[in-house]
Amino acid sequence: MKQFGTIFKFELKYYLKNKIFVGITLFLVVLIAAVMSLPRIAAIFESEELQDPDEEIIYDSTEDLSVMLLKTENSEYSDVILSAFSGEFEAFYNVQLTDESLPEIQEKILSDEAECAFVLMGLTSFKYYIETPSMYDMNVDSAIVAMRKIYQTVSLIEKGVSIEEAENIINVEISSEMYGVGAVEEEESLGEFDLLGNFLYTYIMIFALYMVILLYGQMVSTNVATEKSSRAMEVLVTSAKPTAMMFGKVLASCFAGFIQLAAVFGSALLFYGINKSYWGENEIIESLFNISPVLLVYMLVFFVLGFLIYAFLFGAIGSTATKLEDINTSTLPLTFLFIIAFVVVMTSMTSGSVDNTLMKVCSFVPFTSPMAMFTRIAMSTVPWYEIAISIAILVGSVVGIGVLSAKIYRVGVLLYGTTPKLSAILKAVWKA
Amino acid sequence: MVLELRNIEKSFGEKKVLTGVSFKAEGGKAFGLLGRNGAGKTTSIRILMDVFPANGGEVLIDGNPIDYNKIQIGYLPEERGLYPKKIIIDQLTYFAELKGMRRKEAVKAVDYWLERLGMTEYRNKRLDTLSKGNQQKIQLVTALAHDPDIVILDEPFSGLDPVNAILLKDVVKEQIQKGKIVLFSSHQMSYIEEFCDSIAILNAGKVALHGDLHEIKRNYFRNKLVVRTVNAEKIKADFGDSCSEAENGDLIIHLSDPDKKKSAMLRLVENYDIDEVKVFEPSLNDIFVEYAGDAVKED
Repeated sequence: MKQFGTIFKFELKYYLKNKIFVGITLFLVVLIAAVMSLPRIAAIFESEELQDPDEEIIYDSTEDLSVMLLKTENSEYSDVILSAFSGEFEAFYNVQLTDESLPEIQEKILSDEAECAFVLMGLTSFKYYIETPSMYDMNVDSAIVAMRKIYQTVSLIEKGVSIEEAENIINVEISSEMYGVGAVEEEESLGEFDLLGNFLYTYIMIFALYMVILLYGQMVSTNVATEKSSRAMEVLVTSAKPTAMMFGKVLASCFAGFIQLAAVFGSALLFYGINKSYWGENEIIESLFNISPVLLVYMLVFFVLGFLIYAFLFGAIGSTATKLEDINTSTLPLTFLFIIAFVVVMTSMTSGSVDNTLMKVCSFVPFTSPMAMFTRIAMSTVPWYEIAISIAILVGSVVGIGVLSAKIYRVGVLLYGTTPKLSAILKAVWKA
Repeated sequence: MVLELRNIEKSFGEKKVLTGVSFKAEGGKAFGLLGRNGAGKTTSIRILMDVFPANGGEVLIDGNPIDYNKIQIGYLPEERGLYPKKIIIDQLTYFAELKGMRRKEAVKAVDYWLERLGMTEYRNKRLDTLSKGNQQKIQLVTALAHDPDIVILDEPFSGLDPVNAILLKDVVKEQIQKGKIVLFSSHQMSYIEEFCDSIAILNAGKVALHGDLHEIKRNYFRNKLVVRTVNAEKIKADFGDSCSEAENGDLIIHLSDPDKKKSAMLRLVENYDIDEVKVFEPSLNDIFVEYAGDAVKED
């Protein structure tokens, strides 16, 4: 235990005195501080602009928008049609009715006088004209919505309802709130379920985990390989127990990672606090800083365990490399494993179905569970026993892989020459 | 204190590295562990230091299994190297702490040894700014700072200039005087002869020879005579095949039986102009070549 403490302190000092480590941390802190202060900085510039009293700012919303032409044979309900299309497209287009012929309309689109045009045939069909069709063009979908409203409104009018009333019926305002029953914890299940916030935490945690594991994993690996290639290992293996070495190194890197993250997030929190009034009612930022304590605890648990399991393996791999150049190739399979886990979780997250079978399996496999299970906890409803089983498997795996890594380390550090095959190492570990 | 390795067996995979290796080393004396490259010296040392376990056999101190919590071992490996980019005092203190010293004691002990080896001026420098010889002296501190009971020095003199070699000799003598077990492993036989009272020669994982160096020399076949003479040609002609010439011009007379040495000596003194005649005493080098030499053929 004393050896572990000595190694932990020595290794931590290595990180905290490492110029690159300190440099990156400071850079991130300053960057985050700057981002968090953006509204205040913007406000300074805005107030300077507004100081000129003679300058009158007139903002004509229709002038900046591109033109959308709308042609209809139905002159009786042209008001209804225009208002429906304007309602659907007002944020993006200046919708104008036109009587021009089709060739003229096409000419206008080609000459950029108009961006696109809808030609209506009756109330249930239309043609859409645009210079270059794009995959992301959602205008047809919006037009269908508008056409439905037009059809419904016209139908109501024909049944004797006044235009205003018909439009009120069609455009009736519906208010909504979303509740996640059972997500996170029972007490919270009745409160408002902050899906946007949870999505963001998951996103941030997974990205942080991704960055930290790849960065620190490589650092642990390189650290071990450097000791081996400089032959400092010859003295080290005779001075300290391999388990103390491995756990000391990995936990020190984990702690260093936490110091870095704490500095970055601390800076974010501090500068948000300072600039809070400038951020106003920004929903995203606000939900970001109002993370539920339970979710925060889960985040920490999965983060630490996920980090440890990979860091141990990176350390073990480092011990089998003779030259520093070999590290990148040797760690490749592990990096791949991690990237696959990352891709699976990210895909499920963005597709919105975090409870698919793959994710369920992944949330119990130790190498993927830190990301997969946390994502499911944050974005869906997971029974407590599943969480408990997942954490138990993960804790068991961390300890098991830690001990295995220490054994690989003991065998690996004394092998020089070509990097041995995994099977050969495991055989040697088994026999030792 | 007596250190004993008894019937140590070790294999790596299919390869048998040590077979029934046994030897004893006493406190207050230096012990030489000899053998050609690959004979099993480093493996024996690593088993002795508990880096990995043996497949069979025991490591004993005064007849009881060694307790690594009580017995401190200092080690200067043949493959030298510490942290090249780290400050010397930091890493030396770290190694001493790993050996169980408190930080304050460690700093004090390291400072003592830096002073003793004339390295105090490099205390706060990075290791890679030092010359190879000086780096080796720094490495010696890791073997001695925690005042170990057993000091293992693997090729301690390689790479040292004559002045530093004398400094190291003094340090080694001091360690022996303090009653420690000093275990040497070296190919430089002159140093082993100078320090070691007993030796073990390993050959292909087995102990080929083990015991007190003086006794080994005394018990060596006394069937050769060394003759210094001006009548070399005449003696060679008279003695025929049993006479050969050494590199320094002395004649070596091989006797068919050690008991014939008296009559052979009388015959030489009476019939030729002899400056000196004596029984051939082998150097450690001769013994080494004879006992460790088989491995040469195996290679």
